[in-house]
Amino acid sequence: MTRPLPRRTVLRGLGVTLALPLLEAMRPARALAVRPPVRLAMLYVPNGVHMPDWTPPGEGAALQLSRTLQPLAAVKDHLLVLTGLAQDNARALGDGPGEHARALATFLTGEHPVKTEGVNIRAGVSVDQVAAAQIGSLTRLPSIELAIERAAQSGSCDPGYSCAYSSSLSWKTPSLPLPGEVDPAAVFDRLFGSGVDARKDRRRLSVLDFVAQELRSLEPRVGVSDRRKLDEYLTSVRELEGRIARAQSLPRVRAPGLLRPSGVPRDFGEHVRLMSDLLVTAFRADLTRVATLLLANAGSNRSYPELEIDDGHHDLSHHGRDADKQEKIARIDRFHVSLLAHLLEKLKAVREGDGTLLDQSMIVYGSGISDGDRHNHDNLPVLLAGGGGGTLRPGRHLQCARTPLNNLFLSLLDRMNAPVDRLGDSTGRLTGLEG
Amino acid sequence: MVLTLACALVGPAAADVAPLIDRYCAGCHSPAQKKADLDVARFKDDMALWQTAAQRIEAREMPPAESAQPTTAERDRLLAWFTSAPTHPAAPGRRDGEPVTIRRLNRAEYNNTIRDLFGVDLRPADGFPSDAVGDGFDNAADVLSMPPALVEHYLAAAETIADRVIVVETARRGHRGRANRVLPESHTRLIPRRPSRSRLRQDAQEFLGPFASRAYRRPARPDEVGRLVAFVERASEQGASFELGMQAAVQAVLVSPHFLYRVELDGGDEVGDFALASRLSYFLWSSMPDDELFRLAAQRRLHDDEVLASQVARMLRDPRARALTDNFAMQWLQLRNLQAHRPSRRHFPGFDDELRAAMLTETALFFDAIVREDLSVLTLLDADFTFLNERLARHYGITGVDGPQFRRVALTDRTRGGVLTQASVLTVTSNPNRTSPVKRGRWVLEQILGAPTPPAPAEVPPLPAERRDAIGRSLRERLDEHRDNPACATCHRRMDPLGLGLETFDAVGVWRTREHAREIDASGVLPDGQSFRGPVQLKAVLLGKAHAFRRSLASRMLTYALGRGGGERATVDEIAQRMQRDGDSFSSLVLGVVGSDLFRARGGERAEP
Repeated sequence: MTRPLPRRTVLRGLGVTLALPLLEAMRPARALAVRPPVRLAMLYVPNGVHMPDWTPPGEGAALQLSRTLQPLAAVKDHLLVLTGLAQDNARALGDGPGEHARALATFLTGEHPVKTEGVNIRAGVSVDQVAAAQIGSLTRLPSIELAIERAAQSGSCDPGYSCAYSSSLSWKTPSLPLPGEVDPAAVFDRLFGSGVDARKDRRRLSVLDFVAQELRSLEPRVGVSDRRKLDEYLTSVRELEGRIARAQSLPRVRAPGLLRPSGVPRDFGEHVRLMSDLLVTAFRADLTRVATLLLANAGSNRSYPELEIDDGHHDLSHHGRDADKQEKIARIDRFHVSLLAHLLEKLKAVREGDGTLLDQSMIVYGSGISDGDRHNHDNLPVLLAGGGGGTLRPGRHLQCARTPLNNLFLSLLDRMNAPVDRLGDSTGRLTGLEG
Repeated sequence: MVLTLACALVGPAAADVAPLIDRYCAGCHSPAQKKADLDVARFKDDMALWQTAAQRIEAREMPPAESAQPTTAERDRLLAWFTSAPTHPAAPGRRDGEPVTIRRLNRAEYNNTIRDLFGVDLRPADGFPSDAVGDGFDNAADVLSMPPALVEHYLAAAETIADRVIVVETARRGHRGRANRVLPESHTRLIPRRPSRSRLRQDAQEFLGPFASRAYRRPARPDEVGRLVAFVERASEQGASFELGMQAAVQAVLVSPHFLYRVELDGGDEVGDFALASRLSYFLWSSMPDDELFRLAAQRRLHDDEVLASQVARMLRDPRARALTDNFAMQWLQLRNLQAHRPSRRHFPGFDDELRAAMLTETALFFDAIVREDLSVLTLLDADFTFLNERLARHYGITGVDGPQFRRVALTDRTRGGVLTQASVLTVTSNPNRTSPVKRGRWVLEQILGAPTPPAPAEVPPLPAERRDAIGRSLRERLDEHRDNPACATCHRRMDPLGLGLETFDAVGVWRTREHAREIDASGVLPDGQSFRGPVQLKAVLLGKAHAFRRSLASRMLTYALGRGGGERATVDEIAQRMQRDGDSFSSLVLGVVGSDLFRARGGERAEP
């Protein structure tokens, strides 16, 4: 049985506006002439899933939805469920405990993260940021990073690992994790806030130029580790300069009637749906082509009162084969998947070119842990939704024999026009996506 | 550091120790066995693990009782090596060298600094993304990163602040009355008088010099001020007002690396005077130095021990020292996580945001009292007073406290008193629907005794919680399984009894004597043989381990003060000894940290010749 989404009109104006046809003002002129671009989004859920309920029965064409995937019935033909993919570098490899932090840090990077509480945070560049680095200059924002939970506010997250590992899905550089924006209003501001006030932009550019000067004069006077920090700042300054300059050449984006969300919704589902709607808006108006959304921090122990589940998710994930616990995990999984369904249905509702926005998208949904009790990082739950601009043949269950997840990412990067030869532990491209 | 330590095992001193490690540790913690996921062959470069190992050996918890035991001499030799190997960071004669990386202001520091810089409490950083936590705190230099999204926040905040603190006369025509309008103090602080049109540059210099010096927390250099004056000049060339130009200059200062980062360029081997002033103020106030600190730094007197001590005393009495409670204590006790903790509505229908806030207020006021009144830090473990309002008093079953306002309440019944028995701690260490003696025990071990435990290995069958009623066993009986299973026993023998001693408090900290119609047995026996029954006796046992607590607290506070972990054992020991000598007053802890070489040694390595 699928639990119906609570139909609340909570999107504070945003939902209303999204029902309106896309305003031409929001569409870059360039996009009209050529084929619409392909978009990439990655969604992550922590603690693994209940695999027996996740894995679809059978293989190949005519995907049959498993119990957990039932909420996706309306978009079933747009799904490729991939089993047998692994992130081997999430394993301990001598580093001891910390499976959750490692699973998240490895998920989009394929690199084994350095075990550290504070000094020398390091993993790899995540696939979304690889794409953003290559095609990000075509859009107002190279990428957006979204999250639902704030990073842990104190203590240790996963033993031996800084909380930065447990709350970042995207990594801009091997040493710069990008925490996701939690506040929908701040996301709105990033999407629509800048580039509307020429005078403000001029002042910002001159201030950024000042910062760059200050950094340059400071760098030779500090040591190596300090210089790394200052470089980080300089890189961000450069990116913003580029973005502001670019915004002046890109068609103006206005958001008439689109109301700025107010505050962070208290309800988890409402929060995820609101973020999803913002993501759809960003893709639709081609404000960015790359996004990540972290549904909860690694090892999250949130309870699910909306499902009348009082236990913490992480506690439950150590089910010890207890059937009751496994059932609760499966219900949480299905709830998460119902939120994915909301996103995919919204994408499908937007017409673009000859098809829909979903046809132009590649939405990866998954976890870096397979079974939460075993903490294994092979046979990961991974699902790819969307048509990839006609380059994917969805509606299937594809079984791979212990293949690096990063092989899938190489194949997705090709479709984003951002090809690379290697990423993390990739061994090649994943074949069979096009059928 | 990694390299030196990796070499340490082959050094001369290690020749004595390596066979001991082989004999007593490597049997279980080998590449093949990796008990507790530890492999001594691999962890030679992991300082934190050596420290943990030292603690466990010292506490005689390792090697486990059933294994071969080192002789006392061998045990001493192992411990001595941990602390005195020539390449060991804590070895005497060696300056703990791990440089303190340049530190970005975190959210709390940014808010407070803006408040103290302009005299307006705008709290612009409340909307910033959370700072990542490293080494238990959100002020860890290395994890405070600067992604583009954050720079956007800084830019926007700088605009908002500049617009707020400087008033720009929009209608400049006529209206004499306008000139008489009372300008906010923030404005007159920055622009104390009308600038003269003919001396624009000099006036801008005169106004911006002192401002930049405060914002950069050291005397601003003429070329630095010159770059700021350029904003005013450029504005004037473009026909904009002096105030608009000043706004642009303020905006620039607020995104300058000299403002957003704590850069420590001055000083020789010791940290420079101004850098020391900032170290003090950000440690105790999470904010910039005040005029007195700046003055002492300028007079080069801050390194004087007596001056330093009197400044620390003054700063701890200042209301700004509340930052130690909000930022140090709340993170050390892990209470910031209470905000996101959601007790089950079904089991605890009485829990709501008001109660959550009251719980946090109690602990905050309690810690703040210890700071302000310079009480013994052992008060944290057991106290005869606390702070309550009516709501929380009712929660505790204490009568005679009326109204929403908090007040100091004397405790006669010592089942309450000290952080362990405060609802905030009892709740944040519980599961949403029941208590977790394991989590509470682990919290006591880690936060109070400073003895961390590794997490449970994967695929251990957990407690059969769901079958509880069918089988009818108590939580205690189920926890006993830990002792029977050797994979669990080593750690759980340490954790479970500590948590069981608090079982008379439910998962939101309400006192209880029964659960599921059973009498609660809150007794426990620790691995060292000490036994206790209930929270009062548990607290007594912990007070008996006061030195472990001193070291634990000193270590956490050192990490907080330095913005990096590393657990320098020798320094921590020195601070703990000083505390013990000085009656454990809170100020003795702070003075120990501030007086340590680490706090006063120069930070990052220098590039200049």
